[in-house]
Amino acid sequence: MAINDVLSPFRGWKHLFNDPVSIKDPINREAADRYRGFHQNEIQDCIGCGTCEDICQNGAIDMLPVEGVETVEGDSGLRPRIDYGRCCWCALCVDVCTTGSLTMSNLYKWADSDGDAFLFTPGVDAKEWDGEVRGYRRPEGYSLTPHERVEMREVEPEVRIENFEEIAAGYSIEEAIIEADRCVECGLCVATCPTHMAVPDYIAAIRDGDYDEGLRILYDTNPFSQVCGRVCTHKCEDVCATGHTGDPIAIRWLKRHITDQVPNERYAEIVGKPGPATGKSVAIIGAGPAGLTAAFDLAKAGHKVVVFESRKHPGGMLRYGIPEYRLPYDVLDHEIGVIAGLGVDIRCDTRIGTDISMDDLKADYDAVLLTIGLHLGRSTRIPGTEAKGVFKAVDLLREITNGDPVRVPKQAVVIGGGNVAMDIARSLARLQKQKYGKVDMTVTALETLDHFLADADEIRECGEEGINILDARGPQEVMVSRGRVTGLRTWAVTSIFDDIGRFAPHYNEDDECVHPADMVIEAIGQMADVSLLGEDLTEELEWNRGRMLIDKAGRTSLPWLWAGGDAVAGPDVVHAVADGHRMAESITEAFATVEGE
Amino acid sequence: MQNLFNRLKAHFPLGEITEQRENLAFITVERAQLRALLLHMRDIEGYTHLVLLTAVDWIEDGQLQLTYLLNNRAEARDVGLRVLLGRDGTVMDSIHDIWPTAETYQRELREMFGIDFPGSPRVNDDFALEGWVDIPPYRRDFDTLAFSEKNFTHRDGRETRDPRQHMKQKLYPDGGA
Amino acid sequence: MALFEPDRSQYPDKNPDGTCDIDLTSGKYLKVWQGPNHPGITGNMSVELTVCGDEVVEGITHVGYLHRGFEKLMERRSFIQCFPIVCRICVPEPDFNEYLYAATVEELAGIKVPERAEWIRTLILEMGRINSYLMYLGGQAGAFGLGIVGQWTTYVRDLMLDRFEELTGARIYHMFILPGGVRDGLPEGFKERLEETLQEVERTLKDVHEVMFQNAVFKKRTIGVGYIDPALFEPFGVTGPNARAGGVAKDVRKDQPYLVYDQLEFEPVTDTASDMFARSDVRRRDLLLSVDLVRQILRKMPDEGPIMTKLPNVLHWKIPRGETYLRGECSRGEYGYYLVTDGSGKPRRVNVRGPSYTHAMALLERLIVNVNISDVAGLMVSLHTYPPEIER
Repeated sequence: MAINDVLSPFRGWKHLFNDPVSIKDPINREAADRYRGFHQNEIQDCIGCGTCEDICQNGAIDMLPVEGVETVEGDSGLRPRIDYGRCCWCALCVDVCTTGSLTMSNLYKWADSDGDAFLFTPGVDAKEWDGEVRGYRRPEGYSLTPHERVEMREVEPEVRIENFEEIAAGYSIEEAIIEADRCVECGLCVATCPTHMAVPDYIAAIRDGDYDEGLRILYDTNPFSQVCGRVCTHKCEDVCATGHTGDPIAIRWLKRHITDQVPNERYAEIVGKPGPATGKSVAIIGAGPAGLTAAFDLAKAGHKVVVFESRKHPGGMLRYGIPEYRLPYDVLDHEIGVIAGLGVDIRCDTRIGTDISMDDLKADYDAVLLTIGLHLGRSTRIPGTEAKGVFKAVDLLREITNGDPVRVPKQAVVIGGGNVAMDIARSLARLQKQKYGKVDMTVTALETLDHFLADADEIRECGEEGINILDARGPQEVMVSRGRVTGLRTWAVTSIFDDIGRFAPHYNEDDECVHPADMVIEAIGQMADVSLLGEDLTEELEWNRGRMLIDKAGRTSLPWLWAGGDAVAGPDVVHAVADGHRMAESITEAFATVEGE
Repeated sequence: MQNLFNRLKAHFPLGEITEQRENLAFITVERAQLRALLLHMRDIEGYTHLVLLTAVDWIEDGQLQLTYLLNNRAEARDVGLRVLLGRDGTVMDSIHDIWPTAETYQRELREMFGIDFPGSPRVNDDFALEGWVDIPPYRRDFDTLAFSEKNFTHRDGRETRDPRQHMKQKLYPDGGA
Repeated sequence: MALFEPDRSQYPDKNPDGTCDIDLTSGKYLKVWQGPNHPGITGNMSVELTVCGDEVVEGITHVGYLHRGFEKLMERRSFIQCFPIVCRICVPEPDFNEYLYAATVEELAGIKVPERAEWIRTLILEMGRINSYLMYLGGQAGAFGLGIVGQWTTYVRDLMLDRFEELTGARIYHMFILPGGVRDGLPEGFKERLEETLQEVERTLKDVHEVMFQNAVFKKRTIGVGYIDPALFEPFGVTGPNARAGGVAKDVRKDQPYLVYDQLEFEPVTDTASDMFARSDVRRRDLLLSVDLVRQILRKMPDEGPIMTKLPNVLHWKIPRGETYLRGECSRGEYGYYLVTDGSGKPRRVNVRGPSYTHAMALLERLIVNVNISDVAGLMVSLHTYPPEIER
């Protein structure tokens, strides 16, 4: 035993007079900046998607309604309540939060004699740590869900300007699975969709590779899924939870993907057969999405349906308004064919009011449905609009669809900033390229570019195709010389609405421009052609500011007449589909009530 | 590792071989072959370290897979031998005489999976559970959620809503818009 | 220094099935339960001792006091939901669980982790090792009544926990290493503060060396005591410092380098005596080696770069069918995770192979025979047993 081994331990005595190494104030010790402490939730930003509840590994979170928080589109009105008896402070809820509203402070002390107090709703139950800025937030460069959308492959502008072929390629299976994987299945989109499509369910069907099931889910709520999968205004994507901190899910493209994967021949099998005949009959005026959706539902319910269409082909604005490069005709034909396959009788080239009267329909059918759309274009009525060479967009689009010889302008100006303006500008641009080898189109609208009513993708594609977009310009006069249109004179717009929101545009008259053109096209709105009703019926019906007065179910003031779709609600395809469902349900219910009596 | 497989195949019938990495492979073998193969691996091939002995319940196939994982430290390689047994009255030969440490693994497997290893020292003693009367808990037919619902009470106050249903109730209760 | 040499003719033989025919009514024997709450036990584990005089004749280990059913819990949780619970399997050194779980998931999912994340993972593992050894030293000295060492090492461990807190956001259960990478980079000034703490560690280790390792009492209690014959290493699955103290340089960091260990310079720390003192000394020197490794890592690690790879949506992450095993060298030996996936969104089987599983059960029962009862606590601690990884 070395002497060092006996003496060495005594060296420890050198610490004898050190301060005890305790923290002077352990009770108020502040935790590190990143410490995962008690939860905070920015209630205004939270949308109640419930993804925090889904990921919590110990089931500590409940989603509950909160006093003072409204349920609106895009916000379920629920807020997370956390059970601190189960929480393990792993912060997965913070990491996955789609809006970034849920965070953690770095406070960690909470004593209470009431055990139930530890079931609390952060941001609602006021706590001392609510305003604390230090704590855990999702770090940069770290994400548990993919934020970027899979790009949709499009034909290049130089190639697509030469023809009317479909631009969007549609997702491949690999692309669709990657995009479908991004969905957090919150279901907030369902309420926003006018026809409440079961979006998370069909996105899940894509992940599972079960396209038959996906199509079945689509047809539950929307027999125009091929159409909507291409042209829907996708309000669902605007409220998509993942859109708050990343790109919204490409719901519209995923819907199209399902319809692309199921072979056309299988549709009839998945859609099913019409129900047993009820002996009731319905006349539908207008073979557009509203009318045909109602026809679909009514045929499945077993009623006899006849659809009267004044034009040569069914489809309404889907065919005659939306250009082929957005919605190919064969796709539309197929989708309408599925409806016709249920025994719906579509009679084209038959104009009500001329070939058959409303009275005839009232007599021959148990119910009549008016879904005539908005096929008349509005006019600005500025000086010069009566000249030859000034057209309404809807008229030109119809002629292009019909294959009629259309006068192709060398230079043209479109007035309007909505989707119809984009449609006509891009259609005419293609015709210009074909005829003259070059594009010379200008689009002018009152709104600034970021307020254009057209889809952002439309505006982008429009610009790519060489069309000149001038925003915030107000049309003043169509310049006419010797009976020919020579241009459009515009002033810069300083404001569009007055202080109480009425349409009252103001201009800067010093900023004047004349856009040279040999054609001016007005795309500023549409109206319904209600002349088919005839004087007496028009008298009998009740109206609301130029449109037929209807209730929530689409009933007019007359018990045998329903109306819906663009004609009463304004232009939107999926809204028309929703109207079609509502009216069909109402009609079926009305039939049943009559039976009951 | 192909050389190893070839050498083994010369002496033993081998089942499915899965090469997970360049230094890790799993080989399925018949129960009857296992003992001889283990001794061969240990004494001749240099896999002297028994890393672990555990089981995987493939309930949908009606099988329990025993995995014997061996390590050759000199070559830095691992080989897992998989033995597939039925799930009823599962019995397996003990290897505690080859690796004494195996007695612990075998005791745990008897308790948690219900696999008996006759002759293994104190194999019927409790490993981690005391007074357990239900089926062996690591088996997949043992439902932990049902067990806790049956045996424990909930604290009041928990309920939740589904956002999609809640929005339907509030915004479009009759199904329309 | 003479070893305790008992008269073994008094002892009953062990039967083939491992039991001992001990006649407890004979008055020769006394049954003593050591544990599960006992100052000489590191964690909750008990040894049922049968003592003749003051010499242990038979020891039967009992575990289960910390069985929380992790492996069964993970059956019902998706891959991302399993990540917060694995760290709880080992309290003093939780990071190995997080790392190995993440690494096995990444391997079966085919994900590669960015380089900077690998460096940060290695840093955390080495810091964890330092913490674990500090706790061990306190326990080892405490088993012999030398309480001051535990006070010092727990203090320094607390400083290290402060560093963990500012890096990972929590002191003990870091939940920082997850499949795909790590959660964040190093905060401002972290390297400087960590260097200060490492210097504090070294100062304390110097004191510990003087007070514990150059201490006649400690030496007398531990040298030559608790000898493990190297021939037992392979049959009993002995790994880590327990084996290195017996001259076998088993160190996974060198045998099968993982993370960035192939870019660090070090040699495994060994000894030859294979007794309690050797094991303690190996761990002390390994602690200093870890300090050096942490310094190397801080010097060599990239300061910029992604810390997380792109993951699929973790809410419905499915991993194709497969099985794998990955090991790491933790402070106690070889730590391993065996993961089996079946193509669904939840793991089919996660088996945690803790080093104490082999050290503290069959090996301990073998070693404890003929040990003086006062040495039992020291022997258990010298095997560096953390009971939670035995019964998970």
